[in-house]
Amino acid sequence: MLGVVALLIPLGMIVVSSLLRPSVPEPNKRATYESGEVPTGTTKIRFNIQYYMVALLFVVFDVETVLIFPWAVMYRGALEEGVPLSQALGPMLLFIGILVIGLVWAWRQGAVSWVESPRAERKGREVR
Amino acid sequence: MTPTFTPLQNDAVLLPERLVDLLGLGEFGVAGEVVAAFLGAFLVANLMMAMTGVAGPWAKRKITAAFTDRIAVNRVGPFGLLIIVADAVRLLSKELIIPDGVDRPAWDLAPILIASTALLGFAVIPMGSGIHLADPEVGLVFVFAVASMTSVGLVMAGYASNNKYSFLGGMRAVAQNLAYEIPLIVVAVSVVIFAGTLQMSEIVAAQAEPLLVIAGVTIPAWYAFVNPFAFVLFVAANMMEIGRNPFDTPEAPTEIVAGYQTEYSSVYFVLVFLGEFLHIFLGGAIIATLFLGGPAGPVLPGIVWFLIKIWAVFLFTQWLRSALPRFRIDQLIEVGWKGLLVLSFANLILTAIIVGVIA
Repeated sequence: MLGVVALLIPLGMIVVSSLLRPSVPEPNKRATYESGEVPTGTTKIRFNIQYYMVALLFVVFDVETVLIFPWAVMYRGALEEGVPLSQALGPMLLFIGILVIGLVWAWRQGAVSWVESPRAERKGREVR
Repeated sequence: MTPTFTPLQNDAVLLPERLVDLLGLGEFGVAGEVVAAFLGAFLVANLMMAMTGVAGPWAKRKITAAFTDRIAVNRVGPFGLLIIVADAVRLLSKELIIPDGVDRPAWDLAPILIASTALLGFAVIPMGSGIHLADPEVGLVFVFAVASMTSVGLVMAGYASNNKYSFLGGMRAVAQNLAYEIPLIVVAVSVVIFAGTLQMSEIVAAQAEPLLVIAGVTIPAWYAFVNPFAFVLFVAANMMEIGRNPFDTPEAPTEIVAGYQTEYSSVYFVLVFLGEFLHIFLGGAIIATLFLGGPAGPVLPGIVWFLIKIWAVFLFTQWLRSALPRFRIDQLIEVGWKGLLVLSFANLILTAIIVGVIA
């Protein structure tokens, strides 16, 4: 129900606003904002690969957090029912350990540090 | 050897059921329940909208002004409070400028998505005084799922605007969300280990037990006291989630104008703005529920304590906004992946071991 209300409120605001607001069409007004300059080039450009690298890493860890949740819910109850610690905690430690090894590998590969484009690197060298 | 563990069944009365009793809607059967659910949702949504209304145009200005030794709004109404009404009318009655080359359906949908997903998260938050809309067993996961849907809206807004600043802002929003999401959830898991359930009401109930008594004052077992390390981590990750200073790189007014919301005007801007502030309060509500005992507190009724707690979180975000410089995007990625992630895993393992030893 909150979902319906959460949709109705924005839509209602849009309707109210459409009744209130003026509309004075003018071609220059619609120009894409670029700090007051005439826009140059298109927006559909190539962008930094880094955003993809991080996303790939994210997919791995996101799935893994899903797998941790059921364990976390069970954990305390299981211990109270007398499951030995090694059996309740051991496998999860191993699981997280493997993940941490993966993270260390990605870290050393430089996946989590920001890659500079060759041009920016050249520029940086000149400055230095 | 498989342990059977059933979480305690919760028999607390939720807000829609209360409304059914209160208004005598029970005799109308399903229709009555639907009306009650709608009324309840409407109440909660408007309560949160009111909070946002006070926070956005008024409290934020006043707080920032106090930090920078200014007076801020004081002309319209007492303490300038009527500026809220004035701003609402002003923004809603502005012309909606649709820039060239925007991706029409996506550009229109993004503000609605940002605002409504932020609002949706409050469905499972127990606000005290019986204000609690729904209490599914997976409440915690639901909150995180809904809160992360906002990032989709941000990307849509950034990509569809056909503006370079918006595009950069959208990309930064994704990178940032990816960096915070895992630490946030892993820290939340360490709370789940203590509580043994994902149900919000159970998590709050688990924090009601006394932790220790100092000089006659009973300190409840709020997870902020039980596990302060996790609390600090969660607050930091939450700052990233809601995109406030020092992690407001997706907006970064001094770098990329306004990020993903550069091309939005009129009511669409209101919706994006509203979504952001709702998100701050949703973050505050999650912090309050997970770490600060939800609506628990002495003397005052639950809802008042709940509001005090979420406003405290809001004040904290505004304090940081005035006090800290912004992280650069590459620094932010490193903080997320190298700092927060490692610390949150350390926290998880430590919590598991401590719980294992004392249990």
